[in-house]
Amino acid sequence: MPCRHFMPVGKTLLKRQLNKRSANLSLHALMAAALLLPGLIALPAYAGDDEVSFQYGHYQEGKRQLFNAKSQFNPIEVDTLQGNANIKLSERIKFAFNYTQDTWSGATPITTAPVVRQGNRLRVDNDIHSGASPLIGASAGIFDKHFNPVSLSDPANPDSTVIGSDTRLVHTLSYASPETRKQSDFKISYDWDTAAVHIGGGLSIENDYESRFGNVGGRWDFNQKLTSVSASVSYTNSHTQALLDHDAQTYYSSNNSQLDKLIHSDVDANVLIANKTDWSTHLGLTQIINKNALVNFNVGYTYSSGFMENPYKAVTFAFVDPSAVRPDGNYNGTYAVLREQRPDERNQWTENLRYVQHIDGLDAAVHVDYRFFHDDWGINAHTFDVDWVQPLSNGWTITPKFRYYSQSAADFYQPLFLTQQRLPDNGRLDASTLPSNYASDHRLSAYGTLSGGITLSKQFAKGVNFEVGFEYYSHAGALKLGGGGEGSYADFNYYVANAAMKVNLDALASTHSEHSHHTGHSTHGAHAPAGIMFDHILHKAGDVMVGYRYMYANQAGASLHGDSVARDLDIASLGCKNHPCASTPTYMTMHMHMLDLMVAPTDWLTLMLMPQFVDMSMNMREVTGADEDPNPHQHSGGHSTGGIGDTGLYAIGKLFASKGHRINLSLGISVPTGDVGIKLRDAHKLGDVFIHYGMQLGSGTWDFKPALTYTGEADKWSWGAQLSGTKRLASKNTSGFAFGDLFQATAWGGYQLNSWLAASLRGVYSVQGTVKGEFNGAHLGDGGESFDGTPRSWGGTEDATANYGGRFWDVGFGVSASVPSGDLQGNRLSFEWLQPVHDDVNGYQVERDGALSANWSYMF
Amino acid sequence: MKMRHHLPVLLLCISCFGILGCTSVQPWERGNLAKPHMALDASVLHSSLSQHNYNSREGAAGGNSAEGGGCGCY
Repeated sequence: MPCRHFMPVGKTLLKRQLNKRSANLSLHALMAAALLLPGLIALPAYAGDDEVSFQYGHYQEGKRQLFNAKSQFNPIEVDTLQGNANIKLSERIKFAFNYTQDTWSGATPITTAPVVRQGNRLRVDNDIHSGASPLIGASAGIFDKHFNPVSLSDPANPDSTVIGSDTRLVHTLSYASPETRKQSDFKISYDWDTAAVHIGGGLSIENDYESRFGNVGGRWDFNQKLTSVSASVSYTNSHTQALLDHDAQTYYSSNNSQLDKLIHSDVDANVLIANKTDWSTHLGLTQIINKNALVNFNVGYTYSSGFMENPYKAVTFAFVDPSAVRPDGNYNGTYAVLREQRPDERNQWTENLRYVQHIDGLDAAVHVDYRFFHDDWGINAHTFDVDWVQPLSNGWTITPKFRYYSQSAADFYQPLFLTQQRLPDNGRLDASTLPSNYASDHRLSAYGTLSGGITLSKQFAKGVNFEVGFEYYSHAGALKLGGGGEGSYADFNYYVANAAMKVNLDALASTHSEHSHHTGHSTHGAHAPAGIMFDHILHKAGDVMVGYRYMYANQAGASLHGDSVARDLDIASLGCKNHPCASTPTYMTMHMHMLDLMVAPTDWLTLMLMPQFVDMSMNMREVTGADEDPNPHQHSGGHSTGGIGDTGLYAIGKLFASKGHRINLSLGISVPTGDVGIKLRDAHKLGDVFIHYGMQLGSGTWDFKPALTYTGEADKWSWGAQLSGTKRLASKNTSGFAFGDLFQATAWGGYQLNSWLAASLRGVYSVQGTVKGEFNGAHLGDGGESFDGTPRSWGGTEDATANYGGRFWDVGFGVSASVPSGDLQGNRLSFEWLQPVHDDVNGYQVERDGALSANWSYMF
Repeated sequence: MKMRHHLPVLLLCISCFGILGCTSVQPWERGNLAKPHMALDASVLHSSLSQHNYNSREGAAGGNSAEGGGCGCY
């Protein structure tokens, strides 16, 4: 029987069964999955029901082998937040939207050099080698008659005794301050019975890199849907605008370097501006082999052109003049770095074979993937992947994973380059004496990787799925297929831990339609404005609510002192403690993403868990008329931070309820999961300093958060009031400070405009104390000195603890929409803009522009 | 050299095509194939995160269709 007839009949049958409210949930899930079979063999990423999902991932790299140096920097870590929505716009049109945000900071290799160069041991502070900043500027080196580096009895003195050759290499590590990337993309697809087309696009933005992309593709099923072919084309345009390392101005270049033409210099900095384009195409074939197995074969080709270098990686060259022979028979030479030079074109081919087998006795699925990659840079790579997906009882699924990857090196990769010439005094090299391309980025080297992980997920009956996963990854030259990989100095490991929540709105809608007639959840009275939390409890034991909250706040107005505009001269002389103020913020922006998970263990009590993800950015300006800072701190590009914020745990209880009136009491604890030890990159001899108080991701203290809320409603009107506070339970956190306590009072009124839309107006008064204590390590404005005696920068108003908190009045304008019927019934989306009307700040601060709250929730 | 690398994959591909047309799985026999864990990518969300990490740490990152992903310069 052709599937075209099978589908509508199946759907009608399904609906009829649901209407009878007798459908067994597991049968329902199975049938729904069966109906989606065509999607299964096509584009699973965008197939399926209406679904909303969130994921958090933490990537943490391990320490590198640095031999006799010890880096004080933590290896790189990345926090990733993803949100995804798949919505059916009609029976045949689907819309998918993805949002991804990464924030990374920490140490990564900037170049590779011989151990004897001591690139990780530049700074000597009280005879202690601190490894504070990488050495990449030119330095002397001694080489034996085979041009191998040699070690000296006193590494700092080229005239000391030569001990012998030492060919060991080591990565030179460099620390990066936190940076954030944000990506949004979408896909719209149209499905026929035996075919589908899609179009998509997106944008990825980071401080120094912007990427725009688009794609079109299609799928055609035939052979009674046993066979499916797919094809797609995509285009990406990427723009680099890289602020080159202030501490790496000592790069050398050849006299006709293409790279030099891309670098635009101004007074403070060198900026590299360049473009890259990628065209990519893929063809795929999926074949059902039997009732338990299917196979998929994909080929892909990508053509890239333009700037493909990594602007932050340097290549170490050993300049050895064969005529510079020392009395001891060795050569005098010089180490210097060049920016890497890669070809301007790259052709890449991939072939990918996937096989999926169902294991009947265990109801498991085994996924076996093999991928071959080949490019004209000389890299051949093999990837072998096996996943075993094992459903267990009660909705649990466990998936062990195993992956092996091996690649050969790019033709122009070497960890270290030797050139037999003297380093010219003017630093301008003759390009004809250098290779046409050179790079020592370890991603282009020969190595293998082995990784293993496990994912555990739990499917709840109401369409909610929780998942946690862990993966450990090991990169090693020795793991390369066939041997010949990079030396063990380049080995490293990382782990990734992730947690995800998926909400299937279709499954929710069906349970909802079964139960709504007797609980009436979606329409139970009016809701408070989006900026209000803890205003309601769940109705009966066993109820669950999931929600997502977003908050944006911006400060970008005038500089204030108290409630009036501050003059720069006053900021300079009075804004900072004990010394003049050199700078003041131009803006501070915060985005906060929160998950709202509520469950009711009893009819009168609701428990709530609220994980938060925060990212912040700011920039500063110099204060006019300020004395010259002892170490003017340059601010091009500003600062950003991001990652997990504090986590809230709340219990909300019903104190009083009568017709139209309710009083709830919420008692909560904020767990200090947000990082309060974030530091700035040690550039400009700043020293290893904490980033400003307001840019740390949490409070660092356990906080008590009570709230008392009254809500009322009559006819189309609703109203409410709330008193809430935050009491720090410690006088200082691990970094030595505590934010001020917070108190807030608010009252609002709302009106239901029609069956689905309501509006609200709210007044808010809040008061917060100054920061208590002070950073217990080096920070801007502490009057300290850098490693070499350079006085530390005075910093700005944001570095003084007295310039936090104040008394604030706001007016909130809110709208709230709820879906009254249909598949998405029970979903509620609300927004509120908080407009500041009066600021009375402590000390000197930037005026607030306003704050936006957005809230999606689903009760079931 | 190049051909030798492609050969096993091509052979597998040909055998894959060979299967085409010589199987018959009726729609009512596709219950197992329709299970969520039999999807080509059974955990899309998790795969996207893993892939993102591989892309920023491996030379063969490109060649996946262009879907953004950022510089990965760190």
